[in-house]
Amino acid sequence: MYHLALKMLLGDRAKYAMLVGGLTFATMLMTQQSAVFFGLLKWTTSHLSNMRAKIWVVDRNVQQANELKALRDTDVNRVRSVTGVAWAMPIYVTIQSAKLADGNFKPIMLVGLDNTTLVGRPPIMLRGQLEDVRLPNSIILDELGIQRLSVGRAKPLGLGDTFELNDKEARIVGICRADRHFFGYPYAYSTYTQALQFAPKQRKMLSLVLAEPAPGWTAEAAAKQIQLETGMKAYTEDELFWSTIRWYFRNTGIPVAFVSIIVLGFIVGTTISGQTFYAFVHENLRHLGALKAMGASNGLLARMLLVQSFTVGFLGYGIGVLLVTLFGQVVLARGDPPFMLPWQLPAATFAIVMGICAFSALLGIVKVWKVEPAIVFRG
Amino acid sequence: MSAATSTKLAVHVRAVTKTFGTGEAAVPALKGVDFDARQGELLMIVGPSGCGKTTLLSVIAGTLNFDGGEIDVFGSPLHAMKPRHITEFRKRHVGFIFQQFNLIPTLSCIENVSVPLLINGVSRRVAEQKAAAMLDQMGLPGRGHERPTNLSGGQQQRVAIARALVHEPRLVICDEPTSALDKDTGGHIMDLLCAVARHPERSVIVVTHDNRIFKYADRLTEMEDGRVQRVHGQGGNHDLIE
Repeated sequence: MYHLALKMLLGDRAKYAMLVGGLTFATMLMTQQSAVFFGLLKWTTSHLSNMRAKIWVVDRNVQQANELKALRDTDVNRVRSVTGVAWAMPIYVTIQSAKLADGNFKPIMLVGLDNTTLVGRPPIMLRGQLEDVRLPNSIILDELGIQRLSVGRAKPLGLGDTFELNDKEARIVGICRADRHFFGYPYAYSTYTQALQFAPKQRKMLSLVLAEPAPGWTAEAAAKQIQLETGMKAYTEDELFWSTIRWYFRNTGIPVAFVSIIVLGFIVGTTISGQTFYAFVHENLRHLGALKAMGASNGLLARMLLVQSFTVGFLGYGIGVLLVTLFGQVVLARGDPPFMLPWQLPAATFAIVMGICAFSALLGIVKVWKVEPAIVFRG
Repeated sequence: MSAATSTKLAVHVRAVTKTFGTGEAAVPALKGVDFDARQGELLMIVGPSGCGKTTLLSVIAGTLNFDGGEIDVFGSPLHAMKPRHITEFRKRHVGFIFQQFNLIPTLSCIENVSVPLLINGVSRRVAEQKAAAMLDQMGLPGRGHERPTNLSGGQQQRVAIARALVHEPRLVICDEPTSALDKDTGGHIMDLLCAVARHPERSVIVVTHDNRIFKYADRLTEMEDGRVQRVHGQGGNHDLIE
């Protein structure tokens, strides 16, 4: 009977197209907007993925990775002296202006790495040697930086090229790949000492300390010990990640904006498919009544409706996710947009779409359940 | 009386009552109906609109619950059966022919005819083979893959008859089978139904107020105001049939 159920569905092309279209739209809206939302959230934690350390020591009032308050230079030694810390290295993070060839300025995120160990180094080197960053006035720039700072030049910046960074000459010795910052700043890496020279002098210059737990210590235990002994705030990488995410949830309108659109997608999908499927069942009620008169049980009719509903659900979901993936491919090919599609996201959308289909089918099932087979004898 | 008509009862109805609605809005549709249909006969139920003939057909077919009385169909006591068993009974033993055919327009004729077999758990391949053979018997060879909407009214009713008979039911229920058809086509359909009723272990019950087809009945039960008034034919009055 299920093949007949599908033929009944496919035979009503207008409603079939409406159902698939509605679910495709809902899938697209929910998945694409969630992917952009997750992409933006990922950008807020770009410091973590671009510097990578198990323990992050910051000022006691810091709640998120993008809001750093300067520490005293001696604080790095205080962290090193804590029991349970294997090593601790200073990091300087600042936003500086780079001058373009056409005279305009672009802000860049300058990261000063420990001179000796280069802890906090860029995640992926594309060109050049990491160690060359120790050479005078040297900078390793990410791909976005190359693209942004090449504006007004005859050819893109490359290894050995120079540009003006805060009235000082910076020479590019490497090109790296780094995650995009939430505010869209390119990342530039230098040594701690050189970074202090690029930036205007301030009373306190140390932004944060990256640390590693000693053997036998977990990152959580070491972080607690640092807080206990220094009074500074010490986060594990995971804690700082979620603290940053929570901060953006609490203090910006971004989640509300995106969740509104995602909920809208859910409502549109539920409304369109629920109403259309209900109309489909209503229009076929006489035929379903005839099947009931001929001995089709309520269970069989319910299964037929579920087959119809979930078929359009699978189709709508498949097309929707395909379109979102194509969208992602296209926009990712054009740069580094806020777009993140972990497998959990399509899986969650799948569950929601199937829920919508189950709800739509349920509306029809209740209708069919109530119909008396004697309806077929009424004129 | 046809050669196949026997004195064995196919349907035995005693003191059946059915009321729609409750309280002041209650409308009694059946007021203690007594009624019999025999095996191998084509029996018609006639009467003016609202006399209860369709309600009686519905309760005999097991598609509508009734309030009181007893109905026995080929030995199955509908009054004592659970809804699940009545559904099972309909599935196996009842074939339906409707006024508006009730063919599913998005399915082919073969698929429409195969429905009762599929409901009975027959495989799709066998069901479609039997459906095609039944359509051939109904004089529609080669039309099995067409949609019902491409056929004339008479041809659609033939498809509906094929659907009603394909699972070899013992009771065939027909609700105004000719009212949507012209005289000649209606006559052909009634010839077919008469042939169907010739089966010695089958009974065909037709509800109609189309007096052009009264002559095809073996017996004719006349209803009025929720009760059986007269039975025409064997053992009764012949006026209406003639």
